[in-house]
Amino acid sequence: MGGKVTCTLGEVKQRADFIVYWGGNPAECHPRHFTKYTIMQKSKFLPRGRKDRTMVLVDIRETKSAKAADIFLQVKPGKDFELITILRALIKDQHVGDEQIAETGMTRAGLDDLVHRMKSCKFGVFFFGMGLSMTRGKHMNSAALLTLAAEMNAFTKFVAMPMRGHGNVTGADVIMRWQTGYPFGITFNRGYPRYNPGEFSTVDVLVRGDCDAAFIIGADPGATMPQPAIDHLARIPTICLDPHVTHTSRLARVHITTAAQGISAPGTAYRMDELPLPLKPALKSPYPSDEEVVRRINEAIAKKPFWLPDGSQPQVVTAIG
Amino acid sequence: MTLQIINNATCTFCGCVCDDIQLHHDEVRIHEAKKACVLGTAWFLNHTAEKKYPDALIDGKEATVEEAIQMAATLLHEADMPLVYGMSNTTCEAQKECVAMADILGGLLDSHTSL
Repeated sequence: MGGKVTCTLGEVKQRADFIVYWGGNPAECHPRHFTKYTIMQKSKFLPRGRKDRTMVLVDIRETKSAKAADIFLQVKPGKDFELITILRALIKDQHVGDEQIAETGMTRAGLDDLVHRMKSCKFGVFFFGMGLSMTRGKHMNSAALLTLAAEMNAFTKFVAMPMRGHGNVTGADVIMRWQTGYPFGITFNRGYPRYNPGEFSTVDVLVRGDCDAAFIIGADPGATMPQPAIDHLARIPTICLDPHVTHTSRLARVHITTAAQGISAPGTAYRMDELPLPLKPALKSPYPSDEEVVRRINEAIAKKPFWLPDGSQPQVVTAIG
Repeated sequence: MTLQIINNATCTFCGCVCDDIQLHHDEVRIHEAKKACVLGTAWFLNHTAEKKYPDALIDGKEATVEEAIQMAATLLHEADMPLVYGMSNTTCEAQKECVAMADILGGLLDSHTSL
């Protein structure tokens, strides 16, 4: 996601007068998002707080978040990409047919009003959730919305930000980008990192039965993944690190209990706007931290012969002269 | 017993990573998480410093951490195409070690983002 048009939540809190949540339910999944960062905050630029801000919710059903919204747009399931594409055309005054608008579940009057509000705001922001990024179209939906946010900057300031769940998943993206150049779906099987979601992403790898061992940390695929993927994890040697004995631990060959991050293990976690924050653990755990266990496993692996057939190291190419 | 207080603690349950939580604890469990939401409160109050689970399990049997580490290293080293996956509920410091692991194994590396 490098190169996206975005900002920090602090800027949203201070400046955003037009806030769109797309395919997410912050009222139940990120309960403090409204009050801490977005619609409820008063700031120097928006002194009346909620009254100075407009919130739009785009979703396939009326969730609890709809109560907080000024405008709720119910998009037909799987039609997010079409709706974003229509908006991209409408902001540039290009022709869009009535039947194309009807296909998404919208009305022309509703979209004209939305486009007017988008163009006349001072600082707009799209927050998009898994309802957009994990349904039909997947990453193409996210890419389309990020493009719409970029194109809106011809008219006014506009940014987009994914609503990340799962604690430090943003940190995983950032650390992988820093270390390998890619955010996820990476292989080192040629000795250098390569990136190809679909080929190297976990669900696909497991469903096809490609990998012959798995190291699972800070996740419970045994509870969240499709059944064929879980079946493959049970077939191959799986190693699981978790503060609890999870579904994955039960099908794993090796489980190691570790201290919970932020509760009893120190370190750093990234907020969804890619801001790193230090953790302040309150308790002392009887278990070692993830960091320590993974480092010790790495040390044990490093003592064994390298994975090239004869145990030789990769050749380093150096320029001559 | 008076509870110890930690100000501006960081909650890592969801992507908001709120860093203004006040924790009241007695070194065994957290009794109160002020300013935290319902999800954050459940996250802080459900973890304790008690030893509820075995240190490690190998094939379902209790083992020491060192045995489990050696076993994990052997299984991962023997594999032709090992997968390193997850990294959501852990620290950046541990994530960095995971990238190093995938690198020395010549394996796959992936996070929740791709799900």
